[in-house]
Amino acid sequence: MLSIKNLHASVEDKTILKGLDLEIKPGEVHAIMGPNGAGKSTMGYVVSGREGYEVEEGAVTLNGVDLLELEAEERARAGLFLAFQYPVEIPGVSNLEFMKAAVDAQREADGEEPVSSKDFLKLAREACKQVHLPVDFLKRGVNEGFSGGEKKRNEIMQMLLLKPKVCILDESDSGLDIDALQVVAEGVNSQRSPDRSFIVVTHYQRLLDHIKPDFVHVLSDGKIVKSGDASLAQELEDQGYAWLKEQRAVGAAQEQSA
Amino acid sequence: MTEEINQALKREYEAGFVSDIQSDTFEPGLNEDVIRRISAIKNEPEWMLEWRLQAFRIWQEMEEPEWAHVSYPKIDFQEISYYSAPKSMADKPKSLDEVDPELLATYDKLGIPLVEQQMLAGVAVDAVFDSVSVVTTFREKLAEAGVIFCPISEAVHEYPELVKKYLGTVVPQRDNYYAALNSAVFTDGSFVYIPKGTRCPMELSTYFRINEQNTGQFERTLIVADEGSHVSYLEGCTAPQRDENQLHAAVVELVALDDAEIKYSTVQNWYPGDEEGKGGIYNFVTKRGVCHTSAKISWTQVETGSAVTWKYPSCILRGDNSIGEFYSVALTRGMQQADTGTKMIHLGKNTRSTIISKGISAGHSNNSYRGLVRMGPRAEGARNFTQCDSLLIGDQCGAHTFPYVESKNASAIVEHEATTSKVSDDQMFLCQQRGLDPEKAVSMIVNGFCKEVFKELPMEFAVEAGKLLEISLEGSVG
Amino acid sequence: MSNWFGQVLDRADSVNDWLSPKRQSSLALLKERQWPTRKTEDWKYTPLHALDTFESGLPAANEAAPSEFIADLAIAGLDSIDLIFVDGVLQSAAVLDELPEGLSIYSLPDLPEGKQSDVLGDFAAIKPERHLFGLINDVLATQGLVIEVAAGATILQPIRIVSAINNSTEAHTRLQVKLGESSSLAVIEQYVGNDACFNTGVAEYDVADNAQLEHYRFALQTSAAMVVGGSHFKLGNRSRLNSTVVGFGSQLSRVDVDVHHAGEYAEAKLNAIYLLDNNELFDLHSTIEHAVPHCITEENVRGIVADKARAVFNGRIHIHRDAQKTLAELNNRNLLMSNEAEVNTKPELEIYADDVRCAHGATVAEIDKSGLYYLQSRGISRAQAQVMLSFGFINELVDQMPNQILAEWLRPQLRERFANMDVK
Repeated sequence: MLSIKNLHASVEDKTILKGLDLEIKPGEVHAIMGPNGAGKSTMGYVVSGREGYEVEEGAVTLNGVDLLELEAEERARAGLFLAFQYPVEIPGVSNLEFMKAAVDAQREADGEEPVSSKDFLKLAREACKQVHLPVDFLKRGVNEGFSGGEKKRNEIMQMLLLKPKVCILDESDSGLDIDALQVVAEGVNSQRSPDRSFIVVTHYQRLLDHIKPDFVHVLSDGKIVKSGDASLAQELEDQGYAWLKEQRAVGAAQEQSA
Repeated sequence: MTEEINQALKREYEAGFVSDIQSDTFEPGLNEDVIRRISAIKNEPEWMLEWRLQAFRIWQEMEEPEWAHVSYPKIDFQEISYYSAPKSMADKPKSLDEVDPELLATYDKLGIPLVEQQMLAGVAVDAVFDSVSVVTTFREKLAEAGVIFCPISEAVHEYPELVKKYLGTVVPQRDNYYAALNSAVFTDGSFVYIPKGTRCPMELSTYFRINEQNTGQFERTLIVADEGSHVSYLEGCTAPQRDENQLHAAVVELVALDDAEIKYSTVQNWYPGDEEGKGGIYNFVTKRGVCHTSAKISWTQVETGSAVTWKYPSCILRGDNSIGEFYSVALTRGMQQADTGTKMIHLGKNTRSTIISKGISAGHSNNSYRGLVRMGPRAEGARNFTQCDSLLIGDQCGAHTFPYVESKNASAIVEHEATTSKVSDDQMFLCQQRGLDPEKAVSMIVNGFCKEVFKELPMEFAVEAGKLLEISLEGSVG
Repeated sequence: MSNWFGQVLDRADSVNDWLSPKRQSSLALLKERQWPTRKTEDWKYTPLHALDTFESGLPAANEAAPSEFIADLAIAGLDSIDLIFVDGVLQSAAVLDELPEGLSIYSLPDLPEGKQSDVLGDFAAIKPERHLFGLINDVLATQGLVIEVAAGATILQPIRIVSAINNSTEAHTRLQVKLGESSSLAVIEQYVGNDACFNTGVAEYDVADNAQLEHYRFALQTSAAMVVGGSHFKLGNRSRLNSTVVGFGSQLSRVDVDVHHAGEYAEAKLNAIYLLDNNELFDLHSTIEHAVPHCITEENVRGIVADKARAVFNGRIHIHRDAQKTLAELNNRNLLMSNEAEVNTKPELEIYADDVRCAHGATVAEIDKSGLYYLQSRGISRAQAQVMLSFGFINELVDQMPNQILAEWLRPQLRERFANMDVK
């Protein structure tokens, strides 16, 4: 489904991703873990097409479509969804208006008619309920004055409405208390299906207690350095990331001696 | 509390003494003959005289500007003397030993020793006394690095090509009323040239002193930083305490060629007049720099003196990626009036400017920030950030902000913010409760308010500026 | 000197009515004034040369406007007391006979003799003398309204005053509004007509102690129309003003808003929006005078400027020596949509009291990039995202309008303007 091959990317002339490889099949949940500065957020931005992130090398395809050739909105319409770590506030644009525009854009791309305002309101209300957001959040400006937890739930609400093929959740657990964490996890779990995949980017294991991953990868210095099953997450939780440094030091020493 | 603070702000003007020096001073009055005489005394080439006369004709057709938020009686330009020089300077002393000891004593008293051994290491000084440069120190040492630092009257003879090439290119003769007047009658000032790729090995500094009565001081400074060079220049000014107002109309032109950097700092402490507003200097100054590609000009000023200040050190950001900065502290008290600020003219792509202005008003003074930020149509990606803060001390003073923002480029970003505040009773109480007397408390709070600007000053000056504010706050606190 | 201005001076003497004493004194002031040039600070960015060649044309007397024309001026769903001026002439005075209790409205020419000396005393008393076109309106406005709200009266229906241009090229109307103590009122000033014309509309509002005024000024003329005028307010003790100005630019469009805090603890909330396209110009000058202690001003001005349009904003806050404990904030934000468009903004603070909290800010920028990316990442096209974001930027202030029926009426007009804008 989503295939990332040898991805090298830079921001402001600084290379962050240095040969990232990731293959995600339909229905799979992959967790990406790793220390700060490893490139976790960068991966989400590069794949979703944020301005200022330069791809130097490599390929990203979604069901065979070359994502790197597409604008950010075209990637979204192709089925890619990024739940932001820090969702931006857009005062004056209501949540409802925003999501209707997004859903209609998606439908138009799929050759469908726009959804009627009435039907959409119903859908949006349901989505709100599912993530435990009061429905009057639909009338408020996008993320405007939302707490950290509300913003994260709002992201999941958008995911419910857009029904993407691949979801990248960028530290959707950061700053959440246990209740909010469960709401986020429930939202995600409710959307798990054989034809939808998830990439869960997280620093800690606790989100993975609620969203069970099929695979866990460790991202360090711009590439995947270790992959395993769900037990790897526990291992990381116990050991921390210090061992990565040692490994890197050893690697560097070997390179030098070679 | 306010009364205490105001008491704290009263102070003696320490630089207010008069030096007993025999001077050759022109009779008051201004006409073409006066300009010819100035030019003749300086033994100037014909082109320089012509340039002055041209400026004079332009000036005669101009009108005195009235838009500033200041008021003062109309200046009678025929009552001012346009040239005054110590008699002892007539023969051009060849070394420091030949300079009138009374002159050297004057600078000593001001804390600017001109004997190189006693000087602050690393600072070269050009000392300008009324209409002439008395001495320029460390010239040989600077010459080794290829740096030219000399009185502009000398540069006209020694480096005519450089002077001709740049004089009036940044501030043209007809730029404004006082610039035109200065172009006609300027007497001395400093000339600096930093060669390509050179980092000036010392801080350069000019110290201006007005001594003679009823004379105007019209200095002209020209600094050219060639490609990739770097210079830091400091300027200080004082004048005796007199009951009459005196005019100071200077022009400073800076040229920063590609990749060059000029840092220009001023501590302005002209005589501000007495508590009733009698006497003091009218400080009407035009300062402007042009930045070529990737060049940077940074103006820092601490303005505590002068009865009336009219001054807008500006940057024309002509080259792509060039940078302009303006950091200002203006303190007015008594009957002082200041209308000061800057202009940042963004012409090139990705040009950047920062303006930080701190105005402190006390007594019956008025303190205005006036600024212009202009984004030209080709200033793609340009950015400006402006922060103007005013601090009011007492309810008889005024603090004003007049920022002009003009943008013609969609990708340029301009941000302007202004706030006003006072030294609050809470702040004072906290300081006093911790054992500080009111003087110290005000001085500390004011210094804190100005910190962002002080940190831009070269170290020697930061100390001087801090002291200057502290002196301002010395006095009888009841 | 403008051709038209010369005609004004000539013509002024022919106006003769009960307001003549006031007109004569304004005319005397006017004769001393210079016609503005680029060097006149108040008109630095707004040239008046369109008036140089403007041929004055006074309305044909008493010709009623077509009913379809008047029907088009209605605002759907709004239950308001409508007073419609077409070409400067009040169309129907019937509504004046059935006003709610506590509200009196008189047509200026028909003011009962007994009230004339009072109104004469108030006339031009709130509007600052410096406004050139205010003086011109003093001299030329023979039509207009005198509105009074009795003390303690709450008028639920807003009063909507429309000044529309149909046949003529000139209209000069005047509003004198007086709110009694503890009364409350909403007034909508609406200026209509896109053909080449010149319209001055001046309104003076005297808001007594504890009274509340909700005010709108819609300057929505575009293209060749020229509209210059002002809304001027005097606020008594603990009174409240909530004002919204909306401007589309035109050949010449200038609004002066003045608020004079004359009584303590008064509060003014001022919002203004401008949305400019093509070659349009909109110039908003606001001056807030804090003359007494403990008053509050909050002013938010936002504009979007596209194509070759030009926006001018001058926002002055003046804190007088006695106005301690003032809170005053002014914010002007602009989005510039094209490299041929232009914004000139000058927020000014003039402060003579120390125990006050004042701040102003001004920004000129392009659309927030992170917002754009966020919308795009949800599948919304760049162009649509730009429209949504710019609309949201303006809509924040539309949302704050106390009358949401007006907001509903305004939004589609704003949307239509966005739809036609050449957004990069």
